[in-house]
Amino acid sequence: MRRVAVIGVGITRFGKHDCTSTELFAAAAAEAIADADIAPRDVQALYYGNVTGGETERQLHMGPLAATTLGLPTIPTTRVEAACATSHAAFRHGVMEIASGVSDVVLVGGAERVLNVPTDAATEYFAYCSDASYEQSLGLTFPGVFALIARAHMERYGTTEEQMAHVAVKNHRHGVLNPKAQFQKEISLEAVLRSPYVADPLKLYDCCPFTDGGAAVVLAAEEVVKKRRRAIWVLATVAAADTMFLSEKRDLWRVAATERAALRAYRQAGKTPADVDVAELHDCFTIAEIVATEGLGFFEPGSGGIAAEKGWTSLGGKIPVNPSGGLKAKGHPIGATGAAQIGEIVTQLRGEAGARQVDGASTGLVHTLGGNTATVLVSLLGRE
Amino acid sequence: MNERVVTLKSFFVDVRAGRLTGIRCTQCGGLALPPKEFCPTCQRRQWEPVSLHGSGIVTSFTVIRIPPRGRAPEAPYAVVVVKLDEGVSLLGRAVDIPLEALQTGLSVKFRPVVANDQTIIGFGPA
Repeated sequence: MRRVAVIGVGITRFGKHDCTSTELFAAAAAEAIADADIAPRDVQALYYGNVTGGETERQLHMGPLAATTLGLPTIPTTRVEAACATSHAAFRHGVMEIASGVSDVVLVGGAERVLNVPTDAATEYFAYCSDASYEQSLGLTFPGVFALIARAHMERYGTTEEQMAHVAVKNHRHGVLNPKAQFQKEISLEAVLRSPYVADPLKLYDCCPFTDGGAAVVLAAEEVVKKRRRAIWVLATVAAADTMFLSEKRDLWRVAATERAALRAYRQAGKTPADVDVAELHDCFTIAEIVATEGLGFFEPGSGGIAAEKGWTSLGGKIPVNPSGGLKAKGHPIGATGAAQIGEIVTQLRGEAGARQVDGASTGLVHTLGGNTATVLVSLLGRE
Repeated sequence: MNERVVTLKSFFVDVRAGRLTGIRCTQCGGLALPPKEFCPTCQRRQWEPVSLHGSGIVTSFTVIRIPPRGRAPEAPYAVVVVKLDEGVSLLGRAVDIPLEALQTGLSVKFRPVVANDQTIIGFGPA
């Protein structure tokens, strides 16, 4: 298998946009292609992520539309859908296409547009990522899914609503430093704790927002990369899965797929959790970040809440988590999120993250969770 | 072709009639709910239907206050995770249980919730 590197990244401003999702992707992809310093025609394939376009834009066949909008109508495309892990899954397929020798340069990424529909419609479409017969039918929303996980974690380990609130406060503080973030505004612990319940015990400020946005990554084979000083290597990229049914999860307070993906990614890369200098991980809800920091091996099971409270995951802490502001403050355009997380880690490892730079970061981790914890992708990236 | 012992449709036909039906692997004895083709434990495909009593305890719960489209008149409502006496778990809507009385460890009993053409799983007081 050939080694694969990221040679270009591009991310739109996250927030509300008055344009289609493929236009958002094309803007991000143009930025990534310029960043990679290649000609557009060098791109040989596109793995494209989008989740709700059939509902929010009445648009399917998104892959060729994205390529056409970009001005590369003849490259082969594959649309990937893996709920919120969509474009991280697309990334993994792009890596495999290059590692296997099929292509030398591949574009991956995705986009989402949901702020053009009412909140209750977007809530319904996101719920399509859980099972229709056993879960959606109960009126279970995504905040509801993570509320069930949060309650189980609180009962098991004594995690508190205040500890969860610390995750929101920290990620908003980081978001202030990211000019592309949807929210570039600090929030107080009191404001989080005073915000209304969406799905008990999760409150409004425990939840990431609905977001429009696009993100893109240019991948290249080692032969192409040779002379590029800013190339960042893919040390591992792993997908893991678990049952679609929340009722079948062995322990609701854990995400088994995160633990499996992390274990295999560390092994593939020859790294341990202690080697990770910076991480972008899936904080769709504050509890999700706490559970992920445990599952990825940064903290012992049950101590993720304490780590958040003590500031260990803050910029300047033991293991800076979500310097971009995370899904919570940067925003969560679900089809673009994985690629945007990869973009942030690449920017960090290049030492180009400005005010939110983790000094000397040489190994970074990206964790993206799909839907009701049935899909998880973990990638490790490095300067060497 | 083997016919499925319990299909999604037959499961909810049973639910509507007040019955909870799981499947038991005749090789390893493992219980499964919802139904599936292969036994996750022993990989065999020899199931038999098994009636579940419907009693269990709440292991997690949430109160949905911001509902998806079309469900505003029902909100707020509670979704519970229930571990049944037989050891398998199931999600359901809490019925006839005051929201403030919900807690983990609460004993509950299955009951169908039928509205219009849709049947969902509910759990009421034991």
